[in-house]
Order: sequence, then C-alpha cells, then structure tokens
Amino acid sequence: MPRPASPSSSPRITSARPRRSSRPTAASAPASAKTKVNNSPDSGESESLWAQISSALRGELGEGVFDRWFSTARLADHDGKTLTFAVPNSIYQVWIESNYAAQVQAALLSVLGAKRKLKFVVEGSTAPAAAPAVAAVEENEAEEIRPDAHGLNPRYLFDSFVVGTNSEFAHAASLAVAKSPSRTYNPLFIHGGVGLGKTHLLHAIGHHIARSKRGAKVAYVRSETFTNEFIQAIQTNSLVKFRKRYRQADVLLIDDIQFLAGKERSQEEFFHTFNSLFEGRKQIVLSSDQPPSEIAQLEQRLVSRFEWGLTAELQPPDMETRLAILRKKADTLQVTLPPHVLEYLAHRVKSNVRRLEGALLRVASFASLSGRPLTDESIEHLLRDILQEEARRAVNIDQVQRKVAEHYDVRLADMTSKRRPANIAFPRQVAMFISRRLTKCSLQDIGEAFGGKDHGTVIHACKTVQNRMDKEESLRQVVKFLEASLQR
Amino acid sequence: MKFTISQEAFADGLTNAVSAVNPRSTLPILSNVLLQASGDTLTLTATDLDFTVRTKVQAKTGKQGSTTLPAKRLSTLVKDLPKTEIDVEVDAKSVATLRSGAGVYKIFGLPEAEFPGLPAFDGAVEFKLKSSDLKDALRKTHYAISLDETRYVLNGIFFSFKGDKLTLVATDGRRLALAEVNDLEIPKSQEREFIVRTKAIQELMRALKDDGDVVVRLAQNMVQFDCGPTTLISKLVEGNYPNYVQVIPTKVNERVAVEREALLNAVRRVSLLNTEKTASVRLSFGKGNLDISCNTPEVGEAREALVIPYKGKDISIAFNPEFLMAPLRYLSEDEVHVELIDDISPGVIKINAPFVYVLMPMRVGGA
Repeated sequence: MPRPASPSSSPRITSARPRRSSRPTAASAPASAKTKVNNSPDSGESESLWAQISSALRGELGEGVFDRWFSTARLADHDGKTLTFAVPNSIYQVWIESNYAAQVQAALLSVLGAKRKLKFVVEGSTAPAAAPAVAAVEENEAEEIRPDAHGLNPRYLFDSFVVGTNSEFAHAASLAVAKSPSRTYNPLFIHGGVGLGKTHLLHAIGHHIARSKRGAKVAYVRSETFTNEFIQAIQTNSLVKFRKRYRQADVLLIDDIQFLAGKERSQEEFFHTFNSLFEGRKQIVLSSDQPPSEIAQLEQRLVSRFEWGLTAELQPPDMETRLAILRKKADTLQVTLPPHVLEYLAHRVKSNVRRLEGALLRVASFASLSGRPLTDESIEHLLRDILQEEARRAVNIDQVQRKVAEHYDVRLADMTSKRRPANIAFPRQVAMFISRRLTKCSLQDIGEAFGGKDHGTVIHACKTVQNRMDKEESLRQVVKFLEASLQR
Repeated sequence: MKFTISQEAFADGLTNAVSAVNPRSTLPILSNVLLQASGDTLTLTATDLDFTVRTKVQAKTGKQGSTTLPAKRLSTLVKDLPKTEIDVEVDAKSVATLRSGAGVYKIFGLPEAEFPGLPAFDGAVEFKLKSSDLKDALRKTHYAISLDETRYVLNGIFFSFKGDKLTLVATDGRRLALAEVNDLEIPKSQEREFIVRTKAIQELMRALKDDGDVVVRLAQNMVQFDCGPTTLISKLVEGNYPNYVQVIPTKVNERVAVEREALLNAVRRVSLLNTEKTASVRLSFGKGNLDISCNTPEVGEAREALVIPYKGKDISIAFNPEFLMAPLRYLSEDEVHVELIDDISPGVIKINAPFVYVLMPMRVGGA
C-alpha cells in the first residue's frame, strides 16, 4: 500500500543548482552544522522522546482516543525533519493520518518546539535498516550546499543580492511580492540573461515567505523538473498526487520557464495549475531568459497569462554594480584583494555575474596559494579563457552583414554590391548602422567593408535608419533583436 | 443477423451496457457493444476489460447472429427513436440497418470476432442472497467510499462473507459505514473477503432488482454479480482492507433516538449558512433538547432546535454536515439512534438493524 504524504508536508522540491555546487566556498560551512541529522537514534532516546510526545498527545486527545489509537504505536525513527511512527496495522495508519495528524503536530510543537514531517508505517513493513546509513553519507557530502526544506539554496537571500540600476526594478518587485504575496503583483515574471540573478531572486522570495509566514507551502521547481515529474506521473498513473503537490502550494516559484517551450502536454498541465493557483489567489513567480512573448513555441494562452501580472527585467550590471558585487563576494569569501584587481575584474568581465564571481574566486585562490602579488599581467594570464570568452562577444562587420542579410533574406553579396533597389539598399543601411553601433570600426572602415562606399554614405545610412527607427516601432524591434542576437 | 425489438427494451438494455464503456478507450472495439440475437432474447455486452456489463432484453429473432456496434452512438439514437418496434438487420460486413417507422439508419460496426471474451467463472465460489438485501446494504454504505486515489484500497466496498452473514464496509478515513446481510449459509471453506471497485458498486446498485436473488461468484481477482437479466463482472481492488473493527467505539456514554427526517432537514437548512471552507455544524445535546447550529464569519449564523428524549450529560460536538447527512439520506427508518462518548470522540449512528456509521467530529477553533 503506497503511503500518502502526511497532510502537513509541503510539496517536495528539487535539489540545489548543480552549477553552483561545483564551486566550493569557504564561508557557509558552519551555518548548516546545526541541522546535522541523527539517523540512528538509540532506542532509549527514541523511547524517552516518545514518552514525552505521548504525554502531550494524551492531553491533546483525551484518554479514550489515546488508548485506542496510540497506546500500541511507537516511535520507530526520527531525524531532524521527519518522525516515523510504527503502528500495528493499516487502519491505524489511515485513521491517524486522516484524523489526528494535526494533534500529533501540536504535541510535537509543545515537546520539540517545532513541527516535523510525520510518517506512519505499519509495523514490520519498515524499510530495511541499511537505507538510513547510506542516506547519512550522502547528506554529509552534500552538507555544504544542502538546500533547506523547500529546496531553496540557503545562500540566496535578499540580503546577499547586490542591487544596481540594472536590477533595481526586479529587486523591488520581488521584495514587494515576498512581503505581501498574492496581493500586489501576481504573477511576477522575472526575465534576464544567464547569470544575472533570476534564480537568486526566486529563492530569496521563497525564503522570505517561508520565514515570515509559518506553515506557508512554498514550492520551488525548475520547469524541467516539473516536466519530468509530470511525465513520471503519467507513467505511474499518479496524476492526482502530482496535481495535489503543486495546486496546494501557497507560493509557486517556477524557474527557467522557457524550457516548457515545445512541450505541449506539460504546458497544458501547467496552464491548469496556473489557473487553479491564480484563482485561489496564490502567488506565482516565474523566471525565464526571455520575456514571455519571445519564448518560441509557448502557447498564446500561457504567454498572455504570464504578461498579466508584472514583468521585470534583469539587465547585465554596470561597472559600479559589478564592483559592488565583487566587494560583497570578496567579503563573504573572506578574502582581501587590492582595489585595482577588483577594478580590473569589473572592467574586463561584463557579461554575467556568475562568471564575475568565478573570476574573483580564481584570482583569490591564486593569490593565497602562490603568495605572489597580483599584477595585471598575471591576472590576464590566469583568466585568459574567461577573457577570451568575453572578447568573443566583440562583434565584427562581417558578422553584422551575415546576420542582417539572413534576417532580411538577401544575399550576402548584396551587402557589398553597388545595386540600390530599396529591398537591398535598406538592409545594407541597417547593417551599416548596427556596425557603427557595435563595432569600434571607423566610418571609413565600415564604408570599405560594404563594397568601397565612402564615409558620407555610412553617415547617411546611420541617419536614415535612426530617423526611421524614431518613427517605426517595428524597425526598433528588428534592430534590437539583431543587436541582441549578435551580442549573445 | 436480424431481430425486432421494442424501442423501450432496446433503450433500457443499451443504457445498462453503455455504463461499462470507457469513453477514452484506446481500442476501438471497446467503444462498441456486442449484440447477440438468439431465440427471444437479445444479449448486450460492453466492457472496458476491467469492468463488464452483460444484459438480456426481449426481442424476436429473425435470423440468429451477432455483431458489435458503436455503443454511445447506438444508445443515443435508440433513445431518441419513437416508441415503436425497431427492425434491425446486420449484413456480412457488419453494417447494421435500423428501421423505425419511416426512418432508416445505417450504422457501421465491427465484426464480433474482435470483441474480447468474458472471463470464465467455472468452479468459482458462489454466494446466493436476496437481491433487495444486497441493494439495501449497498445503499447504506456506498456514500462513505473514499475518493482519494492515493489510498486505493479504500476506493471500493469491502465484502466479507463470513460466519452466517455478509458484511459490507466503506470508509474514507473520517467516517465509516457498515451494513450486514444476515442469515446466509456459508460453509467454513467458502468464507471470502474482497474489495469491489466504486464503479462496479454504482452499476450494481442500478442493476439489482427489488425482488429475486443475486448470485455472487468469485474467481481469482474477478467478481461476478448475476442479477437476473443483467450480469456484472468486475476486477477486484487488490490489497488488504484495513481492519475496520478498531474504528467502531466499543463503549459509548450516551444514546438517544432522533427522528431521522427531522434531523436531516434541520441539518440541511442550518448548513446552508456554511461556506465551502468552513463546513461544520454543531450539535448541542441537552436535557430533552438538541440544538443544531452553525456560525460562519461574514455569512451569518443559524440555529434550530429539536425535541429529543435525551437524558445524559450535556455534549456539544461539531460535524461536517455532508458527512452527517449522507447516512440520514440513504436510510429509510423513521428513527435513528445517535451514540456519543464526549465532545471530541467519534459519534455513532445506528438503526434497529445491523448498521453502524462512525463519524469523526470536527475540531472547530482548536487544532
């Protein structure tokens, strides 16, 4: 008989982000030591704990009920999160779970000062004793980055988020949602490029709500996990359980929603989940690397719902913010680096925060391991691959021509030809305009690259495109799109 | 194949059979109903492989034979035909022609050979009891079946043929209904216990006649209910039913007879002031008096009093109104006995027949 989850348990949630876990950090080790798990309680301890719980429970339930349902129960296992009770047969399991779970929780609250997950198992059908030992090993290994009960990374808090002009709006919106969920902005849609802090904000909202509202069910899930669990639910015919898990959440945080693109059944399931939560006035927060309307293969009805609430964008941080992030990170890592090094890093690594932090860690560990002073040259050498990656993002005229030709469906040769029908001339002007904006090439060079035009032609092209952009929204969109895809 | 049948008989038979058809079936043949004409009966069979209905209706066979036709479509059509005789003729390509008055309808069917065979019940354990007894016991228990699919052993009624009686039990974890059919002769070697799925229970209640006998046959993991013209075959729910005896209080403190309809009506009216979230009514038992009340913030409050011969100590206990009304609706006795222990222990409803209903109180305000 499958054991239904105890009614008080919050939706099960996924593990920490693996890409973070690969980077060990020095600072956060001591915090989680408290939650160390006691997997093999000796029976004496179990018995005395049970004695305490049962006396509290006796008061909670009254003599008659206690004698009938709990006199034959015993505490089979307990750790920091879950208490497992062994009961004589399945009617105890059914009846206690249905009727007395709240009272058992109340008794636990008075004995342990906190609620726990409850499990009731039929005596004799307990899992083999070997299992917990394995679990213990895994837990120790994972201690460093172990997510808390909601699957949220304990380091992702509002306090540890550096706010700059690039992220001011998204941060403020997230904070508002965390303070009064489902009142202000529902759903909240956070989008931005890789490594700009979407997940950080999502986790921070989750933490804030979980801490400020006791018993609030916070469900954090990545859309990929959502899809996988959905598929599994179909396979094992347990859709009801699956739906229950997500539709009973008070706050649903879905990360990387763009991975739902093209998965029609998952989208449909999510659509219904979304609706039932929204109607129940539960908070929904979503993150994606693109704004809703630009996620390809996402159903229109989902797009329109995502745009319903507030959409906030995270942009790459500016120089000052990058510097602030580096200082904060250096603080938490407890390393001190000369200011010029931080400035150098902030100056050279622009694209995303994750890479910035990686660079900092590498420089800091080099400094402490080698003991040599850091010079610009040594940093350059140390970070050559990262810097190369960054440099690759520099755009050249050739790329611009290709991209524009592809977009307007003209031949690449037309970019450099002297023919001037409007359908060729205008794309060429757009390409010149973008080249002027994204490359460091001079007007002369650009003209040269477009088939030996002189600098006046390029100036004229830029003016024409700029004028039309001022008037035409569609052209603004096209240029924005082309620039974005070139810089990616 | 060729037969003539009255519209009413055909429509009745089809309604019975269609209940077994799963509208989302993946095998096309399972959307069809099997028609077998022979002598003066037409046999209709439909199945979803887990659940099968076979029913016999009167018809004049012109030419013996069998075929399968789309169940849903045929049933909708026949129900809408005028109340006259219908002539049905099926050709070798499984195309059926229905003639009714001035109407002619051609329906494409599938050959009979594709239709799955029925499980055999040769040498099965057999129980025979009065149809009305089983129907009555089912009525008294079926509403307590659990709808929670995570506890699938509770998604059905527990049948226990033991001693000299059949015991039926249904529970969803918050209430439990038990009814018995007595005076059966069951040899020790034939004692059996099994769980019948909710779907089969619903159809069984419809198929059972008010007179005559029903024969229950049990083989492996299948049960067959032979109710005269209609036979149901269903897969059993696998697993062990929880030991329900534990739930029924052994010692009660107070016992009082209450008029069933008066209680039902009062609870229903009072519960109208509930909202979905806060569904609960409070029963306050005092000397010679029962107060039924509810108080819903932002909606209002209601109170009704019933005069009852209560002599015990004051008890005030809250119940889910739906759960309290369910047995009152399905019982037919004028009087029910309410048994209580205290404010927080389960309440029990009994009648002057082998029936027990245990209902957990609600904790209002507290936990």
